[in-house]
Amino acid sequence: MKVVVDDVSVAFDSRGHTVVALDRISLRVAAGEFLCVVGPSGSGKSTLLRVVAGLLRQTSGDVRIEAARPGAPLTAMVFQEHALLPWRTVLANVVFGLENRGVSRAEREARARDMLALVGLSRFARHYPHQLSGGMKQRVGIARALANDPEVLLMDEPFAALDAQTRTIMQEELLRIWASLGTTVIYVTHSLEEALLLGDRVVLMTARPGRVSQVFPVDLGRPRGLEIRGSPAYGVLLEKIWSQLRDEVVRAMDADRDP
Amino acid sequence: MSRRPGWLAQHWLAVASPVALLIGWEVASAVGLLREAFFPRPSTVLIHLRRLVTDGTLLAHALPTLSRIGGAFALAAILGVATGLAMGLWRRLREGLDPVFAVIYPIPSVLFLPLVSFLVPRGETALIVTTAATSFFLVAFTTTEGVRQIDPLVVEAARHYGARGRRLFTAVLLPGALPFILTGLRLGLGYALIVVVAVEIVSASRGLGALLWLSWQVLKVEDMYATFLVIAALGAVLSYGLAVLRARLLPWAQDVAER
Repeated sequence: MKVVVDDVSVAFDSRGHTVVALDRISLRVAAGEFLCVVGPSGSGKSTLLRVVAGLLRQTSGDVRIEAARPGAPLTAMVFQEHALLPWRTVLANVVFGLENRGVSRAEREARARDMLALVGLSRFARHYPHQLSGGMKQRVGIARALANDPEVLLMDEPFAALDAQTRTIMQEELLRIWASLGTTVIYVTHSLEEALLLGDRVVLMTARPGRVSQVFPVDLGRPRGLEIRGSPAYGVLLEKIWSQLRDEVVRAMDADRDP
Repeated sequence: MSRRPGWLAQHWLAVASPVALLIGWEVASAVGLLREAFFPRPSTVLIHLRRLVTDGTLLAHALPTLSRIGGAFALAAILGVATGLAMGLWRRLREGLDPVFAVIYPIPSVLFLPLVSFLVPRGETALIVTTAATSFFLVAFTTTEGVRQIDPLVVEAARHYGARGRRLFTAVLLPGALPFILTGLRLGLGYALIVVVAVEIVSASRGLGALLWLSWQVLKVEDMYATFLVIAALGAVLSYGLAVLRARLLPWAQDVAER
């Protein structure tokens, strides 16, 4: 297993009482797998990703990531709000992680240029983030993560802030990139359609406290494009997961309503 | 693409209004609407300015002022940026110093001169330290805010990509705060000029402030106005110089500032 999340809980104090964000989550992700995590807001999907990324320390439990290549970072995250350094050019943003790890200039720039070519931004290497559209910034975010050649690529609702057309194109781009690199991906989204288009499996999480409700294999074949939306198998699976997700969303809304 | 209109076509009002003011003044003094003894014609002032330049008086007074501004600005910039960075990074320090600064900052700096004269050698050093006071506070304030307004998500992303300690400071916090720091320096330089003139009026025999005051005391009103002009021009040059420096140092922040 590439990633093993073993009995992980996260609790924090909020105005005197303890809030359990994640409650004894266990997950296994195979090497090269594209795993999608879906759940209502407040189900702790982003928290889970941040624990795997090492940005947040779990209260209990264990996360193990298999390090196949020495020197490569375990994870690299694509943030929802891109989180690029505004004072760095596109190229300088993409090399940032390599620079921090002391990779030579020639090597890191060559690597960054490869990644920019992969996301179709070669012509924008010298631009600053504020000169780019939302979709282009997110491509830079993906290039920055991939340039680090991580064991696992983590994506936290990367396309949520994009308009519908751009999002669709970015999803197809991501599938193409993933197919060419074979990276292990954990992808958090609130969109079931997105999860079914991208994922090998869909993990459904419950409303607070976040638990794994059920795991659904997505047997829709590869390569996948938008046309799978017309297939009967897609409709059946969507309906099956949605009926469960709806219960969770309603539960989450009720929980928010209670004083 | 259509040709952009020339600079003058866009900014004719900015040029026309001071010219109209000068012409109005000239006419008003010539026909006796303004008393020439107190409001000499601009043309007369220019003749006197030329004499001050050619007989070396102006240079003899401008050099001490420039060296005081230089010393005071360097002092305020170095101490102000260092203090501001420290206050931005450490909450405790900020909470401790904020009220003290808030009380001292609004006091007109000239009033510090007697106190400063007890603490440091009288004369040049006291003048420079007094001149630096207000600028120091301005630079420290803006630098503190500069550190605090950096997007925490950007800092988190930078950490995630391996920026720690010294590297986090030089590659993230410092460039992130730089637009604010440069704004503070520009304000601080302007205030250094204001205060140095005031301090020179109170306690110096050389300097543009001294020349201004001396001219007034002996009713050489034309020389007083000529000195006015020089001080105003100096202020404009210093401010413009730092604006140009800012544009060169911060290509990524330029568009935002000019919007």
